[in-house]
Order: sequence, then C-alpha cells, then structure tokens
Amino acid sequence: MPRYSGIERKQARWGLIFVAPAMLFFAVFSYYPILNAFATSFFNKRALSKAPPRFIGLDNYLRLFSLKTAGNELSFYNSLRSTAIFTVGTFVPLLVLSLLAAALIASLDGKRAKRALQVAYYTPAVLSSVVAATIWMLIFDPRGLANQWLNGLLGLTGVDHLWLVDRSMEQLSTMIIYFWKYIGYFVILFITGLSSIPPTIYEAARIDGAGKLQVFGRITLPLLKPTVVMVSIMSMLQCLKTFSTQYMLYTNGAPRGPINVITFNIYVTGIQEQYLGRASAMSVVLFVVMLFFTWFQFRLSKADDVEY
Amino acid sequence: MKRAIALLSMIALMAPALLFAKDKKADGKQITINYWTHEDPARTQLEKELIAQFEAANPNIKVVRTTQAAVKLIELVQTAFAANQGPDMFNLPIENEYAYITNRRVAPVDAKAAGYKSAKDIAAKYAPGVLDAVTVDGKLYGLPLELTNWCIYINKKVFRSAGLDPEKDYPKTWEDMMAVSEKLVIKDGNILIRRGFDFRYPYYLTFFVPMVEQLGGKLISDDGKTAIVNDAAWLKVLSYMQQWGPSGKNLGSPTYKNARNLFNLDNNDIAMANTGLYQQGRIEKDNPAFFKSGEWMVVPFPTFKGAVKNTAACYYGHYFMVNDDAAKEVQEASWKLAGFLLSHGEDYLTRGGNIIQPTKALLESKTLKSMPYSDVFIKDMARAHMIYYGPSSAELQTLIRNAVESVMLSGVTPEKALATLKAAAQEIIDEQ
Repeated sequence: MPRYSGIERKQARWGLIFVAPAMLFFAVFSYYPILNAFATSFFNKRALSKAPPRFIGLDNYLRLFSLKTAGNELSFYNSLRSTAIFTVGTFVPLLVLSLLAAALIASLDGKRAKRALQVAYYTPAVLSSVVAATIWMLIFDPRGLANQWLNGLLGLTGVDHLWLVDRSMEQLSTMIIYFWKYIGYFVILFITGLSSIPPTIYEAARIDGAGKLQVFGRITLPLLKPTVVMVSIMSMLQCLKTFSTQYMLYTNGAPRGPINVITFNIYVTGIQEQYLGRASAMSVVLFVVMLFFTWFQFRLSKADDVEY
Repeated sequence: MKRAIALLSMIALMAPALLFAKDKKADGKQITINYWTHEDPARTQLEKELIAQFEAANPNIKVVRTTQAAVKLIELVQTAFAANQGPDMFNLPIENEYAYITNRRVAPVDAKAAGYKSAKDIAAKYAPGVLDAVTVDGKLYGLPLELTNWCIYINKKVFRSAGLDPEKDYPKTWEDMMAVSEKLVIKDGNILIRRGFDFRYPYYLTFFVPMVEQLGGKLISDDGKTAIVNDAAWLKVLSYMQQWGPSGKNLGSPTYKNARNLFNLDNNDIAMANTGLYQQGRIEKDNPAFFKSGEWMVVPFPTFKGAVKNTAACYYGHYFMVNDDAAKEVQEASWKLAGFLLSHGEDYLTRGGNIIQPTKALLESKTLKSMPYSDVFIKDMARAHMIYYGPSSAELQTLIRNAVESVMLSGVTPEKALATLKAAAQEIIDEQ
C-alpha cells in the first residue's frame, strides 16, 4: 500500500475534482444506459406499457440464439452475419486506405495542397446524415450517377446495377457510404501520428541510402504502430456500431434483410416493435462482442513496445 | 481518498435518476400545452392562426406546437412516452396510436372541456363508426383531426402520350393496372425512366391488405386468434408484387422516388399515384399551372378480376389524444384546444391541407362536395373500412413490409415470405 505525502494527496484531490464532470457525463450517458440495458435484458418490457416489466430470466437471450429462427432473414443470427460482413468489408479498406492517404498527404511539399486534401477528406465526416442521405440516394437512384459511372466504365448502356435492391450490391452500397463518410476522420488521426515521428530518424535513414518504400516499411509503419492500433480499434468499434447508413437506406425503400446489422435490429426491435427487453439483450451481446474484439486487438498488437 | 472516489461514483451513478425525474404538475395558473404534430405547411399556417386566437381567448394557456416529419413523429412520440416524457397533446395515424389507448397512456376525452355537452353529443356529431377506433370499454380516447382514404390520381397528358385515352383506359382492375403500366413505362435498358404507377410504400396496411381482402384473405381472423387468413389470397398478391418489382416486369420499386411527390411535378416521370384528397392542395402549392390545367383526374382504387370482396384502400384517421400523465389542468386545457381546432373543419378542408374532419356537417357540406373529385373519394370510402388497428398494428405493418419487399427485391419466393410473415404475425397475436 503506497503512502502518499500531503502534497500528493492534495494533488490527487484536485485531480478528482477535475475528472468529476467527465465522470458525471459518462455516468449519465454511458454507465447508466449500460447497467439499465443489462438489467432490462432479463425482463419482458414493452416500450409503451405502464405495467411493471415481467422477469423472464434468460428467455430474451435464448430467443436470440434459438436455432428455430436461424433461417429467418431477419433473425439475430442474420444480424451477426450482416454485421460481420459489413465490419470486415469496411474496416479493412478504411484502415489501409486511410493510412495510405495520410502517408500521401504527409509526403506532399506544399502546405496549401496538404490542407486542401485534409479538408476534402474530412468534409463528409461533418455532413449531417440527412445531407449524406440526400446525396447518396441521388447517386444510387437507378437513373443516378452510380449506374452512369459504372456503365460508362464497363462500356454498357441502360444496365441497372440494383445498388439498393440486390443483396450484395446493397451491402456494398452501405460500405461505400460509410467509407466515404469516415475515411477523413481516420486520415486526420494518421496524419497526427505521422507528425509525431521525429524527423531525425527519416534524415538518418536517407543518409544511409534508404528508398521511399524502405522508409515507409521499416520506419513509418513500425513507429506508427500505436496509431495503427488505436485507429484499427476505433474503426472496428465504429463499424460494429454502424446504424445511420443502414437506417438511411431502409427508409429510402431498400430491403432490410441484407443490411439488418445488430444496431439496426436493436432499433427495429426496441423502437418499432417495442420489445425493449429483447432489444436490450441484443445490445448486451453487441457490447460483449465489442469488448472481446477490443481485448483481442490489444493482445495481438502489444502496442506499448514502440520506442524512438 | 477511497471514500471520496466511492462517494463521487455513487453521486455519478445516481445523477441520471435525478436528472430524468419528471415533474408533470402545471406551474401555478399558467398552463403550457406541448402539442406535437406532423409536418404539413398548409395546416401549420392555419393552426398558427387558430392557436393565436385560442391563446388570446385563454391568456393563461400557452401552446408550444412542435412539428416533425410524419414517419419521424411516430418514433419520437413513442420514445418520449417510453421515457415518461410524452407530449401533452399529439396526433398520429390510428394504426400507430391505438397502442397508446390499450397501454393506458392517454386520457379519456373531456367532452365538456372540448366544447360538447357530453360524450353522446360528440358521437352524434361525427359520421357513424369513425369514433369506434378510439372507443375502448365504452370510453372515448380521441377526437379525429382527419379521416383520409386514397384513390388513383392520373396525369392525362402522360396517358395520351402513350396512345391511351385516360377517360376510357384508366385501370379498373389490378390486372389492368399492370397492363396499362406496361404501356406507359419508358425504359433505358432496364432502368425505368417513366413509371406508369407505383405503390405507396411502406403503408402496407392501407393499400396491400385491402388487395388481399379483395381475394378473400384477411390479416386477422374474425375471432382475433389467427393471423394471415387464406394463404392463396396472400400468395396471389405477393406474386403480383413480385411481378411488379425489378425481378418481374420491372414496373416500379420502393427504391424509386416517391410516386406521390413526383406526380405533382408533371415532368413525365409518372402517370399515376395513389393518394388522398389532400394531394390537391399539394399539387396546387407545388405546381399551380398543372393544378389549374385540367390535365389530372382521380379514379377509384382498383380491384382484382374475380374479386370476392369489393373493397377500396383502407381509410385511416389521425386523432387528437391527450397524455394521461399530464396534470389534470393541462389535460383539460388540451381538450379545450383540441375542441377549438376541430370546430374549424371547413378551414382545415379549404386552407388547412385539404383534410377531412369526419363530422356529419362537413361530410354533407357544399364545400366538400364542390371540391374536384370529392365524389370519387366519398364513394370509395363507402366501400372501404378503417385500417386495421390493434395493440400491435404497427408491428404487423413492419412484418408485411418485410414480406413484400423480400419478394420484390431480395429474390425470396412468395411461399417462403408468407411462411415467415405468418409465423411472426401469429407470434404477435398469441402474445396479445
């Protein structure tokens, strides 16, 4: 048991006072909903009912994983599958391409060009979902730009690629929208990580005759490891929590089955169908999945062993 | 130090309970009514005027009117009620609103506050049956803001451009609708440039269920115990929708732009749309030249060839309801406001979005009868019935949506879609 001196105790007390607002914020908007959802998941609770919710033990969880519903397009199993497809299909390109884009921007000489590219990449991230929806619905409309571009590229005319209709194309559409919206955010994070690498290391490498690819592979990547780990965890968690893109497509008439990711299933079950207990059980499962993958990524990366 | 951390943590964890605690008491004599309703520019203009008059006549009452898009409002009201923070007064479509009555979330109508002598007096002033949807165990829980049914609007120019005579060739049956649409569509490869007609997705309880009923099917059996009655009827309509969609004859799809809004533009995008009398006000606002051109007409909702039941699209109501958790004086003030607004039926019909408040007086008025094609709507209403409403009507509509759109868009067979729909709908009915 360490003993603290008077001044350390005083500092700690002030520290506590300073973190209190953040603790309050997290308590209201994170801890309380988590605990509440966990408790609710053991009850049969309907959104509008005034009657006290009925305790049903693990029934909500058993229902989610019932093999009877496995073949149903809107089952929880299908949501797990849709979430996995979306996460892998979005998280990997997001991570790789945002890193490459950041490296490209960082390697540019002109400050103006750098800033212009940063702004260009980041702009979609600040657009509201409504604006993003309007833009993408115009693009994916059968008469829209997506069909025109793809037909132009493939030398076809009048082919509808069914961006919002075909199962695979609908999933691809959600991935494209999400990628477009969030790549800028991760590019900025990578640029920040790149700028923290001491330039002296690059100078030493250049004096030793290292080429650009060698510098990127042997210096930039290893030293960027903490940022890569952080970005990969953040982007993976964001992909697992994806909702607004799927909601936007669904409200514009796209079928629900192929894009019924866990969060969207939670929304439909809890808000539209009013089964709050069942939706809470889904959110607890999602929480456990996210916790597991975060832990797994930390284990794989051992992020702390980078030293300059 | 540990004690300080524990204390801070406890305060932090208790904070939400303190923050979210509600206080629904009216503040002294000054009463504020939070009234939530759906967006409609014409009605907003009228209600702003009426609310100003109401506030002037009742200086102790302030009305805070909040509008949201119709679909969004359904979710917002429900989420607010789930958190015990519902508005004092609101309106939604009855299929979404009925659950508020069965869950005891709304207060019975205060007839005297609303300006009537008694509940009997209210019943005597409205058309027969329209209050049934909001009457439970003999108590009345809502007053109708509007009663709406949909017919088929036709753009005559588009018909003529395809060599059709709109007066003679308009579709009388769903088979005609498919055949006429095939003549009207213009395609670039398999991309639809012009549609003949398209459905009013995702309001399946309003248009799809009546199509099933025409063939002898039912959503719920008469004894209320069985969901999805008469598989053959359901399969036929699901197959029809499959044929309508991109993998069939490619005549339309939920992913194309809303037919009703495109119709107003008169830009050769669509020939027919399924909508209500209120559309006339919107055509006039969006495209006055088209409204005045005489190039549009309205025809009845079609039926299938060999239909066993001659039924039109369901009519639905938006009802004013009052939050049961609101303080008594707020409830009373809210019913007073509802009664005041509803006493201006002709204003709502002529300049409040062309909506029909189903009072006997308005239904028999010259104002309604002189509106273009109002006779078509009135006749269709006579062969229609109120949309299905029950504690889980909104969920059933979502299930039907999933079934129809899975056959139209995802390549699911009608048989499989029906089996999924039937099992899920039955589960809901059993739970009720």
